Amino acid sequence: MTDHGHEIDLRSVVRGAAFAPFSVILLALVVIWAATGAGYFWPMWAALGFAIPTGLWFAVRWAWLRPKGASRRYALQASVSVVLVVTTVLIWAMSGGGYFWPIFPFVGLGTALLLHGLLLAPSQRRLQVRVDELTRTRSGALDVQASELRRIERDLHDGAQARLVALTMQLGRAEERLADHPDSAALVRQAREEATAAIRELRDLARGIAPPVLADRGLVAAVESLASRSTVKVEVVGQLDHRLPPVVEAAAYFVVAESLTNVAKHAPGASARVTVHLDGAMLVVEIADNGPGGANPAGGGLTGLKQRVEALDGRLEVHSVAREGTVVWAVLPCE
Amino acid sequence: MVEDQALLREGIVALLAENGIEVVAQADDGPGLLRIVDGHKPDLAICDVRLPPTFTDEGIRAALEARRRHPELAILVLSAYVEPVYTGELLAAGQSGVGYLLKERVSEVRTFLDSVKRVAAGGTALDREVVSTLIADRGRSGGGAELAALTPRERETLELIAQGRTNAAIAREMVVTLGAVEKHVSNIFAKLDLPAGDDDHRRVLAVLAYLRATGGQ
Repeated sequence: MTDHGHEIDLRSVVRGAAFAPFSVILLALVVIWAATGAGYFWPMWAALGFAIPTGLWFAVRWAWLRPKGASRRYALQASVSVVLVVTTVLIWAMSGGGYFWPIFPFVGLGTALLLHGLLLAPSQRRLQVRVDELTRTRSGALDVQASELRRIERDLHDGAQARLVALTMQLGRAEERLADHPDSAALVRQAREEATAAIRELRDLARGIAPPVLADRGLVAAVESLASRSTVKVEVVGQLDHRLPPVVEAAAYFVVAESLTNVAKHAPGASARVTVHLDGAMLVVEIADNGPGGANPAGGGLTGLKQRVEALDGRLEVHSVAREGTVVWAVLPCE
Repeated sequence: MVEDQALLREGIVALLAENGIEVVAQADDGPGLLRIVDGHKPDLAICDVRLPPTFTDEGIRAALEARRRHPELAILVLSAYVEPVYTGELLAAGQSGVGYLLKERVSEVRTFLDSVKRVAAGGTALDREVVSTLIADRGRSGGGAELAALTPRERETLELIAQGRTNAAIAREMVVTLGAVEKHVSNIFAKLDLPAGDDDHRRVLAVLAYLRATGGQ
């Protein structure tokens, strides 16, 4: 963002300090040329003099849009070469044409550019290989993580939670048989209540890791479940005819969960609408509310969601206009 | 009785047997449930939600299928978690003789046995967490204002009605007289503008229909 601000400053400075005087001076020269008999149009050389730095400035700015490093250096060389070639061609044309001498700088600059390109190619290829590798391993790591989380949730359910349920039941039966010994019965009841509290905590933990309905029924059912738990009125529109990769389902689920939590927190009187659909190989999720708007897209929860979505090469945008509500929009590729 | 965790299944079977409820057959998966229901024609099927081989929602699917084949069969689902999507499906499949309880409720032996008997007799048993989710939903919609008009005691009574309890059970739970419960009940029905009924079951249906209809689902 600071780069952007810098660009704007530079542009306004150049416009204010250079372009305006340029045009004033040029206009004055044209007037002088006209007043002195309008012979040979010499002000064009002054125009060329102004055009060269302007062209160079645009060339550098364009090159600066490339990522820093080898590709920016290459772009800089290419754009400056183009400006120089255009300049020489203009000089050739303005000086009456004839023998096309700009061919020499043209060939020279072209050869230099070609050499630079050849020099760069192997490292570019290496870079490409590395990017492919990182993309693959990252998505592999995320897939593994998503299925590991589901496994943990299932293990909690089938292991610790099931044993605790069996335990509370035994305690319950013991309590029944101790009806004649109220003191012992009270102790057993206390133990049973503790175990029940532990079950509840495990259940909340498991839900936070991977909500069961998401694993069981997929994204739309899980979103409907979120909608029916929300304290605001939520309409769900969506149908997916097949299951998506667990990592995509989980990311989309938590986008909806966090967004609905935000609606409930910041726009308790509003209603929300969640749409879920596939656009080709892209999952599109949108949560719109008619609340007061004005959400801060850099807020903690939203930043976390954005990172989560971007880790999957997806995109998350928040549009929040005061008095018009908030829209959270996420696109996730699901290959 | 269908549950894949042997420890829990055998525990529940023993508990039911001790209290004069005959368990005709046990199974540990969805097809097993259908086999038992087709073969033994029991009054009530008790089943878990997650069953082999997929450990997702096989229990719910099997229960709904069993219900479709035998509409008179009562179904009590035991689950490790409350899931509005599942309770919704279960209630949509016919509101007589259905129950959805969290598994740990089996430890409250008396209440659990009451629920089993009530569902087998065509009543309803909804876990208190299911009911509190349904009632919490009301805060956001038109029903919120009407519910807010209830006194805390009336609200508590409403929750117990929605769980499927009878007046006598509600009086026991709240440690008040039967007359006090009846007074709460008639106040609730007047405030929510529901048709009064002396039939316990119709009363549950009216309350559930009210909660679901105003819940925006």
